[in-house]
Amino acid sequence: MKESKRDFITGAEVVIKACRDAGADIMYGYPITPTCEILSGWINEGYASLQTEDEIAAGFGVCGAVLAGQKAFTASSGPGHILLQDAFAMAEGMRLPFVMIVGQRGGPSSGTVIYSQQEVMLSCFGGNGEGMRFVYSPSSLNELYSLTRLAFNDAWKYRFPAVLLTDGYMLKTTGVIEWEKIKDVENSPTFTRLSDGANVHWPNIYTAEEELYEEVMVMNKDYKKAASKVAKAEEYLTKDAKILLVAHGIVAASAKEAIVELRKKGVKVGLFRPTTLRPFSKKQFDKAASNKSVKKILVAESSLGQLARIVHDEMDPEICKPFAYLQKPALGIEIEDIYNFVLKNNK
Amino acid sequence: MRYKILLAGDGGQGIQLMADIISKTVFQADLYITSVSNYGLEQRGGASLNYLQISDKPIGYPKFRKPDLLIVMSKQGRQRTEQNQLPGVETLNFEYYNGILEKENIKSQSLNVLFIGILAKILKEKKICNEKEIFVLLEKRLGKKTNWEENKRAFEIGYSK
Repeated sequence: MKESKRDFITGAEVVIKACRDAGADIMYGYPITPTCEILSGWINEGYASLQTEDEIAAGFGVCGAVLAGQKAFTASSGPGHILLQDAFAMAEGMRLPFVMIVGQRGGPSSGTVIYSQQEVMLSCFGGNGEGMRFVYSPSSLNELYSLTRLAFNDAWKYRFPAVLLTDGYMLKTTGVIEWEKIKDVENSPTFTRLSDGANVHWPNIYTAEEELYEEVMVMNKDYKKAASKVAKAEEYLTKDAKILLVAHGIVAASAKEAIVELRKKGVKVGLFRPTTLRPFSKKQFDKAASNKSVKKILVAESSLGQLARIVHDEMDPEICKPFAYLQKPALGIEIEDIYNFVLKNNK
Repeated sequence: MRYKILLAGDGGQGIQLMADIISKTVFQADLYITSVSNYGLEQRGGASLNYLQISDKPIGYPKFRKPDLLIVMSKQGRQRTEQNQLPGVETLNFEYYNGILEKENIKSQSLNVLFIGILAKILKEKKICNEKEIFVLLEKRLGKKTNWEENKRAFEIGYSK
């Protein structure tokens, strides 16, 4: 970590420091806004890198480096992220610790270049598998650092691929990071290297359906076991909340500030913020949502229901609470938006 | 304390330079600041914005709807910030300040530096930071470039407004 107590740096610079501190050896990537500064910054620092011809090559580059025992990662966005899902799914199938930093931009397709929250489903379930990956959604620069470190550690510890799901606002914001508030962690060791000349069959394709079935079921067992340790969420003023607001990433930062103002007005509102979207912290959410004081659940996000879909899928079906949604695909959700939305739903 | 400034103009007018100088000075003053740029695909000519927030407490969300101060540096900047032009927002318009530069025989390219001068005055009055520290950073960035004398005068004019 840094020697200074605080720095004034961009989100992209925070990511670079975190990847380096996590022990990352090499970055493979193809530039795309808003993650260009991660690639260019990493290269400018003189760290090992390979700018490939496209994101498909970058993704398989990461897989190859990981197989060779290196801590490798990539960063991308929108259409680049779509291409990376090919290699990411292979990492899922082969149990490779693959770390991908995603800076969400507007979609579909090339969309806009700065901001959105429309890559939630792609991050969580983008491959032709069962979504056995970890997806972290930081809400501040401090957390951008700590969750990047955690993504590397969890990926290498449990051998599942991990997405650090950010957006262009977070990566392009220059802000104050306070190192004293961030707990330093030990890095997970890298994968055991294959010795030169070793002949190991490490398949991503199976001949018999039964064989793959067995493999997926083992993977599922391992994923469930890991999920109980990996799934995390933050609750903010939920104990007496009449309204439970659910938001992730930078929208949750906006929600927190709105809650401070709403509480001053006597509105009993609290926040449930999944810091991992996959695995989702189901038990903790069910407990918060089933709290007797909660009369309504509001989901706020910069997409048309990608977070809400996860919440509904994960929530205990016996919890019967009315829902309302604030959905602004590709648009930032400002403090005033959440403030007014909560007031409207507090009647 | 929370002070929100929205800078709006065209790419190439030096909006991001303004934000960079102000935010670095505020950071040195041990306060919290966020600066988030917003522009399209164009390198030049498109709208360019920067949302600056200054606080004595950590700042969560970097964007805002209602600034305390809106600096409009071009017609496109005005168009792009229609939703931010709300009652109670102090707005500084480029037409008036371009007129001042013209009277002083200073090129309109120094408009951003004039606004840095105005910001230096405002931030000093609010006891956020000192104008001298802003000027030091400005000189470091522009001192060796062409038109420094004009820029220096533009800063002084802005500071005196």
